[in-house]
Amino acid sequence: MANATQTKDQPTVRAARRGLSEGWFAWMLIAPALLFIAVIVAWPLLETIRLSFTDADMNSENWVGFANYEKMLQGAKFLEIIGRTFFWMVLSVGLKLIVGLIGATLLNAAIPGRALFRMMIMPPWVIPIAIGCIGWLWLYNGQFGFASGMAQRLGIIDGPFEFLAYKNSAFYAAIITDVWVGTPMVSLFFLAAMQGVSRDLYEAAWVDGAGRWYRFRRITIPQIMPVIVSMALLSAIWTFNSFEIIWIFTQGGPRGGTTTMIIDTYKTAIGNFKFGEGSARAVMIVLILGVFSLLYLKVLDRVNKHYGVK
Amino acid sequence: MYYTKTLMIAAALLGSSALTAAADVNLSFIMCGDERPADKAAIEKFQVDNPGVKVAMEIVPWGNCQDKSMTLAAAGTPVSVAYMGSRTLKKLAAEGLIVPAEIPAEMVESYQPGVLKTVSYDNKYWGYPHAFSTKALYINCDLVTTAGLECKAPETWADMIAMAKAIKEKHNVAGIGIAGKDFDNTMHMFLDFLYSNGGTVQDPVTGAPTLDSQQTRETLQMYADILPYGIEGATAWERDQMKDLFNDQKLGMYVNGPWGKGQHAEKVPNQIIVPVPHGPSGVSGTILITDSIAVFKQSDPAVEAAAQKLAQTLTSGDAQYDLDKSWGLTPILQYEKLGVEAPYYVGDADWQIFVNGISTGGPEPLVTDFKSLQGVFTNMIQGVMLGEGGTVDQLVTQAGVELAEVK
Repeated sequence: MANATQTKDQPTVRAARRGLSEGWFAWMLIAPALLFIAVIVAWPLLETIRLSFTDADMNSENWVGFANYEKMLQGAKFLEIIGRTFFWMVLSVGLKLIVGLIGATLLNAAIPGRALFRMMIMPPWVIPIAIGCIGWLWLYNGQFGFASGMAQRLGIIDGPFEFLAYKNSAFYAAIITDVWVGTPMVSLFFLAAMQGVSRDLYEAAWVDGAGRWYRFRRITIPQIMPVIVSMALLSAIWTFNSFEIIWIFTQGGPRGGTTTMIIDTYKTAIGNFKFGEGSARAVMIVLILGVFSLLYLKVLDRVNKHYGVK
Repeated sequence: MYYTKTLMIAAALLGSSALTAAADVNLSFIMCGDERPADKAAIEKFQVDNPGVKVAMEIVPWGNCQDKSMTLAAAGTPVSVAYMGSRTLKKLAAEGLIVPAEIPAEMVESYQPGVLKTVSYDNKYWGYPHAFSTKALYINCDLVTTAGLECKAPETWADMIAMAKAIKEKHNVAGIGIAGKDFDNTMHMFLDFLYSNGGTVQDPVTGAPTLDSQQTRETLQMYADILPYGIEGATAWERDQMKDLFNDQKLGMYVNGPWGKGQHAEKVPNQIIVPVPHGPSGVSGTILITDSIAVFKQSDPAVEAAAQKLAQTLTSGDAQYDLDKSWGLTPILQYEKLGVEAPYYVGDADWQIFVNGISTGGPEPLVTDFKSLQGVFTNMIQGVMLGEGGTVDQLVTQAGVELAEVK
């Protein structure tokens, strides 16, 4: 133990010998990481904030103050897009959690070939999203696709149905694909949490006559609640910023029916080369996600305290 | 002595390689669409004729090709040349990202009427026109005749709707393909019909918006009337995807460029090509679209000069003729004037339809904010397709208001 303490203190001792205070030494150690964050995160963020106060386009920029923010907030479609983004996030995350919980429960059950099933849920998460989306594009195609063809054979519809052609069906089609992509990771996290629940609790409950559903509600769910909350909030942030699926499917159409904030930002900044206006939208996303992150930390803290997790 | 010799040889070798390196010019070329053998052959010849100049071509699908070239330029790392839609040129020129095209004087006289207007802005040419298209209506005669109709050109929109209706009712497949996806050819197809109804988008002299007109209302109303007999979910379809439906006997007719004939020849041999039917206020017309080679502004004048030369080579009479002929494009040059004997389009009835369209066609509107222009049209067309945004009258009025805001 004494040796361990000595070893741990050695760099500080050396630093002290070189005349550096402990504080300076600590700063030196984290300096590379700070520099990395400054270049990769802070500088682009500050540059985005700066651009949001300009009318930057492809080759020029002028200071315009809050004009981009005013234009954005006064835009007829802005509130609609925010509302759609939150609906997209809540619905998609909700489904991911429910399906993920069911999946984790099944994968945690003592069934033959469990390892194989655990492996089989991985592909949606592992394969590149663009490749997965091409498969889904085929599924949703009205003329040549599986979903429309099957629905016709079953007599549900009497002709081809183009899932991505209408606002609602395109939106829900994108949600289904997003859930398909995002659920495996949620399931794996839940599964890992479930495997950490003490068997003693289940056995004690079983002895007391508790049924499966009761044990699931009163033991499993409370025990994995911190993980559920973590996944819910992290998944919310990722889903809020989800871009690829909607872009590949509809590019935000038809008639803006699948345009979320991130799609709107991309279309404005990159599609129309209005970097100033696009940056204002990006800053708005940062603010909203900043509030979300604070909420995440607060809720997580409260849940952890409630369930006695340190 | 031996060492001195060796040193001298080494120095000479190093010197010569340094000179070669100084003379080398590397051109980057973004090509939207597909790799075309005629272009490839012209580039290979250019490299042979210009030792030390290397051309690296990157093929990028149309969906995001133009954005890529423009974003690279905006980021300060432009490609040397890019083949892109001429509608992008005004924006690139206004932003100072491309340089004027140095089209040789003898070539200027050879272009088809109206072609150079598509690359003109501020009394300069900003691109080398390299592909030209006019449009016509392709009809699958097997579907038409088995629906009990004679397979002949529908003269008017009413005839066209009747034909689409007959095909739909007999075969339960789409009678006509109307593009409605968030894509440029949704606007282009609408303009084919608008120009066939005497409509305009901009005043040819002042450039003032003229979309809010009776002709546009009639065109949009025709869309509303024909949609029940069109492709289900038209807002998910763009023109190029319709080729597959047409080849699969799932589409009775649609508007396409001259290259369509070759694309259908094997699976739909019994096809006819006819002029775009006209509306109540006009005569058959088509949109005149060009794609061009733009030369991007470079920090190295040698690269810029080589890029101009490459663009001139690709658009010169011989190379251009090979491309037009092999790729099935509307002739962009008047090849008879250049001394070409029996050009591929002369004496061919189908080709004459596309060539005749040049004189009656209307231009692709040239604006700086071309994405917003496309958005105005897509919004209006999808409005009628999805049944939202109001009546035809309201949608056109709204489009007129939106177009007035497009720079």
